[in-house]
Amino acid sequence: MNETVLQVEGLCKQYPAFALREVSFSLTAGRIMGFIGRNGAGKTTTLKAILGLVHPDAGEISYFGLPFAAHEQQIKEQIGYAAGGTAYYQRRRVGEIAAVTADFYPGWDDKAYRNYLRRFSLDENKCLRELSEGMKVKFLLTLALSHHARLLLLDEPTSGLDPVSREELLEIFLTLAGEGVAILFSTHITSDLEKCADDIAYIQKGRLLAQCPIDCFRQDYRLVHRQGELTPQQQEIILGRCTERAGETLLIRREDAPLFEGAAVTCPTLEQVMVHLEKEDTP
Amino acid sequence: MKKLLHKELRLTAAPITYLFLAFALMTLIPGYPILMGGFFITLGIFYTFQMTRESGDILFTALLPCKKSDVVRAKYAFCLLIELSGWLLCALLTALRLTLWREVPVYTHNAMMNANFAYLGWLLFLFALFNAVFLGGFFRTAYGLGRPFIRYCIVWFLTIAAAEALHHFPGMAGMNSQTGSYGMQLFVLAAGALLFALLTAVSCRTACRHFERIDL
Repeated sequence: MNETVLQVEGLCKQYPAFALREVSFSLTAGRIMGFIGRNGAGKTTTLKAILGLVHPDAGEISYFGLPFAAHEQQIKEQIGYAAGGTAYYQRRRVGEIAAVTADFYPGWDDKAYRNYLRRFSLDENKCLRELSEGMKVKFLLTLALSHHARLLLLDEPTSGLDPVSREELLEIFLTLAGEGVAILFSTHITSDLEKCADDIAYIQKGRLLAQCPIDCFRQDYRLVHRQGELTPQQQEIILGRCTERAGETLLIRREDAPLFEGAAVTCPTLEQVMVHLEKEDTP
Repeated sequence: MKKLLHKELRLTAAPITYLFLAFALMTLIPGYPILMGGFFITLGIFYTFQMTRESGDILFTALLPCKKSDVVRAKYAFCLLIELSGWLLCALLTALRLTLWREVPVYTHNAMMNANFAYLGWLLFLFALFNAVFLGGFFRTAYGLGRPFIRYCIVWFLTIAAAEALHHFPGMAGMNSQTGSYGMQLFVLAAGALLFALLTAVSCRTACRHFERIDL
C-alpha cells in the first residue's frame, strides 16, 4: 500500500500571464490527495502536465517508478482521468463509448464494467447528453475502473453536483481508496476534502505552498476571533484576516497562539485556512 | 492504429460524412462542374471535424493508451478512407460514362468537364489539397476549423476554375474527350495520384510534429 504511484518533481510551465513554478509532490497507493487552490491557481495545468497534455518547460513525472515520457502507453493503461463538466461524445450511447474504449485496454474487465454500471445505476442505452452531470462523472469513473486503473486523476469532479451526488461520489472514492486505488482530486470545494482526503497539496499562483496530511495542514494554523486592538507584535504574525458578521477572524501559526492569550482561539477548517491565506494574498 | 480507426468510424464520424459520399453521383450530371462532387465529399469530412471538436474527441483520444502522433495518423487514415471510397464511386460512374454512355449527346456536347481519366486525376488532386491545406491547418491548433477550411475553399475554387478552363485551351481539347486522348488523361491521373500520395504524406508528418507541440 506504500508504493509511490505518482511522483512529480520540479514541474515548471511558463505562460504569458501565468507560471507554474517548481511544483513537486508525490502520491502513494490507497491514499486520496486533495489538490486545492483558487480558480486559476494552476490545478488544471498541473493535472494536464501530469497527463502529458501540456508540455512542461522543466520537471520530471513518473508513475509507478517509471518515467512518463518513456512509458506513456504502459502508464496510461493504469490510470484514469475524469473532469467535472467535461462530456465526450454527447450523442453516443454509454455502451458504444465503453465498447470502443475497452479495445484499448488489455486489462479491461467486462465483469467489473457491468458491476460498476449496476452500482452507479447507469443505463448502457442512454446517450451521454441524457445523463446528469453527476452521472457523467460516474460514467467516466466506470471507464477508468473497468480497466482497473491504479491511479485516478480527477479534475473538479464534484463541481456542479448537488450535495447528495457529491456525498455519493465521495463515498465511492473512499471505497476505492480502501481497495488500493490512489486518487488525486483537484477541487476548490474544500468541505469535500474534509470528508475524504488523506493528504493535501495546496497551490497558490502556480507555486505549491504545502503538501502534507490534511490534519497536519489544519493543525499548523489557529483561528483567532479578534477582540480589541492588536499589539504591533500580533500584527506582524497574522497570516490572513477575514471579516464576518460575528467580527474579525485572524489566521496565525499554531506556535504563535500564546500571543493571543485570552482571545477565542480555535482550530480552523480547511476552507478557513484557504480563504484567509488567499484573501491576505489578494492585492 | 486499427483500434483508433475503429474509434473514428464508430464514435467520431458524423453520419453526414457517409451520406455525402452520395455526391459522387454528380459525376453523371452533364453541363455541370462535376468536381463539385469531390468538394461535397470533403465537406462531409469537415462536418466530422466539427463533431471532433464539439465532442472533445481529441482530448479523449489523447488520454487513451496510444502515442500522440497516432491520434493524428488515425484522423488521416479516416479521411483517406472516405476520400478513396468517394473516388472509387466516382471511378465506377466514370467507367459507365466511358463505356455504356460514351455516345450520349449530353455528354458528347458538354462544355464543362467530362468524366474521364483526367477528371479522376483532378479529384485526387483536390483531395490532396484538402489533406494538405485543411487537415494540416487543423492540426496546427487541433481546435481551429474555420481558417483552414476557408483557405481550402479558396485553393479549391482556383483549382477547379483552372481544371474547367484547361480543355478550352488550344491543343488541350483531348483532356475532355470521352473517346480518346487517353495518354494525356492518364498523365493527369498519374500526376493526381502522385500528388495525393506526396502531399498527404508530407501533411501527415507535419501535422504529427505540430500536434506533438500543442498543449491540449
